[in-house]
Amino acid sequence: MKLIKSIIRPNKVDEVREALEKLSIAGMTVTDVRGHGRQKGHTAVYRGKEYEVTLLPKVEIEVVVPDAVVEEAIQAIIAAARTGEIGDGRVFVLPVEYGYNIRTGERDMI
Amino acid sequence: MPLHTMPDGSPGPDLRSRAAALLAAAREEYATDARRGAAGASVLARYSARVDDIVRAIVGEARSVRPLVVCALGGYGRRALSLHSDIDLLIAFDGSIGHDEERVVKLILQPLWDLRLTVGQHVRELTDFDAPETDNAEFLLALLDARAVAGDESLLAGVLMRVQRAAAEWKPALLDSLLALVEQRYDQFNHTLYQLEPDIKNAPGGLRDLAVSRHIRVLQPRLFGDETERSARQLQDAEEFLMRLRSILHLESGRDANTLTHEMQEKVADLVGATGSRPQLRVEAMMGDYFRHARVIARTLARARQLVLPPVGRGAPRPVGRHYEVSASGVRFLDPVKAASRPSQWLEIFRVALANGCAVSEQALSCIEHNIDRYGADDFVPTDQDRHLLRKMLRPRPGLYARLSEMHDCGLLNRVFPEFAAIHCRMVRDFYHKYTVDEHSLLAVHAIESLWNADSSSRKRFGAILHEVHAPDLLTLALLFHDVGKWREGDHAQESLRMAQTMFDRLGIEGEPRQMVEFLIRHHLRMSQVAFRRDAEDPQVIGWFADLVGTEEQLKMLCLVTLADVAAVSPETLTPWKEELLWRLYVDTYNRLTLGYADELVQKDQAGLETVLEARPDDISEAELLRFLNGLPRRYLALFGVAAIYRHVRLARDLRRDEVHAVLEKHEEVWELAVVTFDKPSLFSNVCGVLSYFGMDIHRGQAMTTPEGLVLDVFEFTDDEGFLRKNPGAAADIHAMLSGVVAGSVDVPTLLRGKERSMVYRRRHRVAPVLHFDNEHSRKYTVLEIVADDGPGLLHRISRIISGHGCAVDLVLIATEGKKAVDVLHVTKEGRKLLESDQAALIRDLQTMLEDRHETH
Repeated sequence: MKLIKSIIRPNKVDEVREALEKLSIAGMTVTDVRGHGRQKGHTAVYRGKEYEVTLLPKVEIEVVVPDAVVEEAIQAIIAAARTGEIGDGRVFVLPVEYGYNIRTGERDMI
Repeated sequence: MPLHTMPDGSPGPDLRSRAAALLAAAREEYATDARRGAAGASVLARYSARVDDIVRAIVGEARSVRPLVVCALGGYGRRALSLHSDIDLLIAFDGSIGHDEERVVKLILQPLWDLRLTVGQHVRELTDFDAPETDNAEFLLALLDARAVAGDESLLAGVLMRVQRAAAEWKPALLDSLLALVEQRYDQFNHTLYQLEPDIKNAPGGLRDLAVSRHIRVLQPRLFGDETERSARQLQDAEEFLMRLRSILHLESGRDANTLTHEMQEKVADLVGATGSRPQLRVEAMMGDYFRHARVIARTLARARQLVLPPVGRGAPRPVGRHYEVSASGVRFLDPVKAASRPSQWLEIFRVALANGCAVSEQALSCIEHNIDRYGADDFVPTDQDRHLLRKMLRPRPGLYARLSEMHDCGLLNRVFPEFAAIHCRMVRDFYHKYTVDEHSLLAVHAIESLWNADSSSRKRFGAILHEVHAPDLLTLALLFHDVGKWREGDHAQESLRMAQTMFDRLGIEGEPRQMVEFLIRHHLRMSQVAFRRDAEDPQVIGWFADLVGTEEQLKMLCLVTLADVAAVSPETLTPWKEELLWRLYVDTYNRLTLGYADELVQKDQAGLETVLEARPDDISEAELLRFLNGLPRRYLALFGVAAIYRHVRLARDLRRDEVHAVLEKHEEVWELAVVTFDKPSLFSNVCGVLSYFGMDIHRGQAMTTPEGLVLDVFEFTDDEGFLRKNPGAAADIHAMLSGVVAGSVDVPTLLRGKERSMVYRRRHRVAPVLHFDNEHSRKYTVLEIVADDGPGLLHRISRIISGHGCAVDLVLIATEGKKAVDVLHVTKEGRKLLESDQAALIRDLQTMLEDRHETH
């Protein structure tokens, strides 16, 4: 079982969600975040004044998936979130020991 | 029912089982009424009495040696115990509390805990009350409802006597704490009662408000007169209704649940007998009743708060005009009987309240509410002046939301804008919205209003936009109407737009203001869609959005409407993250509109061209029209309506070299000068110089040049020195001077020499000017942005320096925001963009001039 954490462009959320749903991955956590990677923001000008846009708005999507579909899920996320430009985002994969369903108290079987 | 007997009269086996049986019987009795939707005040009082019996028996069994009293506090003290409410108790001993007393307390509480009751207990010695706990406001408030249930009742009198003795010490602090608690509680609900899933106990207009109103009355009885029979009955009905709802919620959830969730609403609607052929209609009927009752409660509390905390600086009533007075309770009619038959005064009282920064009094609101059915929309704004004042009243500023809410509550808003009545208490369920549609619209007005004095830096930048727009009242109008179409299913923006037409006609809103509001209603969802769901870093997306908004003014207005609309969905919706996305879209689009607009010509806007061609009057041929438009920037079609375009075409007719055709018109307080001529060096600078010479203060303007050298300049300015007003031949003088300038017979720098030496002309700058060159946004031009303190002749001085550097000014956007000039000039030198060396030289001279250290001639 792995936690796949993707940091993507805000406008790519629907496409990534649809791509994951096609793999029957329905449960996910979506969070509005700000940050930068290599993109490191840029200088914007408003009315002649320059200002730094350092932390860029991004969306973080977290899904927990069985080991067997991790690779497929990663490829689906990358395909859906990619524009080819700097700032497309990152995908991180973390091991998950186990999870519990709060309502039933049952341990996850995936 | 005494505890030593069971419901059937037989004695029980022991205390706990007897108490359990009694509680079960009391709950079943309660549930029977709740299932009929009839568990109101009398049922709650009966249930409280049943619980009293249980407590009394338990206390009796505990056999305390030391005298004690067990009191019911809070809602239980008021005999308003709901099925699963907490049981708040005070256990007070006459003497010190030792081991034996602790045992007694345990013997009292343990059976109650065994019954799975939630007990809130306060254990005190009588002498503890010699120094009341002023830092424990909630306990002191609970004491206001205390009544003895078991033990020695005289001890409660002792408690209250001690508490009363120190009343002067704690009462003012308690009142302050009580009001602070209300404020904290209201913060959780965005200060509105119109919640789609209301907490009927804690939300504004809930049962807790009722308790607070009563507490305020107890703490400051002298401030309150006798309640009218009508208002007492309304309040009683409201309490009864909310208690019935709460009883159902407790019964259905099996716990102390007070939120009327979407899931519960259908059930509750059926149980209270709401009418309607479909579940949705029954829910709307029930919620309509809920909001009506909650409004009564909220207004009662608001009135009580107003009485104990009149706004600072308001003493004895003082008259305002002939019909009103400002009092501690708000603005009142001096003669409510006459006011009842003068509906045009009703809007005026809200204008007076806004101007004086206070509320409209209950007296005036009641007067309006009782007579509202007698009048229709036109009766409130019978004259052009009334219609003008109504628009003026809608200008966003502190207090507007509160006054509009008062108008809404007393029924006036729905009468003045009958279209708004279609969404009265309208509930549209989705994942996001927390409020009814009408309240969402009013909260959007509140969001705009709060930008007026925005405190956070992220909001201040939007506040700056609000201070820049030319007709902020149109924002309020657009927000009031943007969702009226939600009265039915389907595309609500289109339906809202359709419904707004009757309002425009009724209020005589035509031309640019009408087009602006239509634009805002039609596109109120667009900007958030682009900001949050499109790739706003894609230049094509920005280009598409810039085409949609067309002008900076429409961009600013749509940005503010979007921000307000999102903020009014729920307190959590407009996150800093979303604000940032919205701001970035605004900035990118603004830059696209102002810096890159020269690259696209009208020919690219086929739809716009077709509109202009279709409506063409007989005296203008298609060829003449196309000849005139050829080479003008695309935004020309967005900036000017067809009537203005045809005026410009006529103005350009038969124009010869060295001639100038100009027309001067007055629109309310602003003059507009349109000038058509052929380009020549320093032309723009000289035209500005002429206006400056006559004392005109340029606020807005556009200067455009076609590749064929046709120049169209349109300036909006005010006649600050009264030249046009005082001199009948002034327009001809200006025209003659312009002709002289174009013909080369008038030298503008010589003309202005005297003026430029004057102190007014050379006043000190307040903020450092900002100058910025951009060689990227436009394919053909270097764009120079200047933000500086406005001042007489500024534009002339800027453009003269640019001309002096051998640069041509081809296109100019002129804007003035308060005392700040924002000018965007598209310039070239010898037909190319400016090199870095050109820019450096130019910026040096401009900087020197703007910092006012330099003779400009």
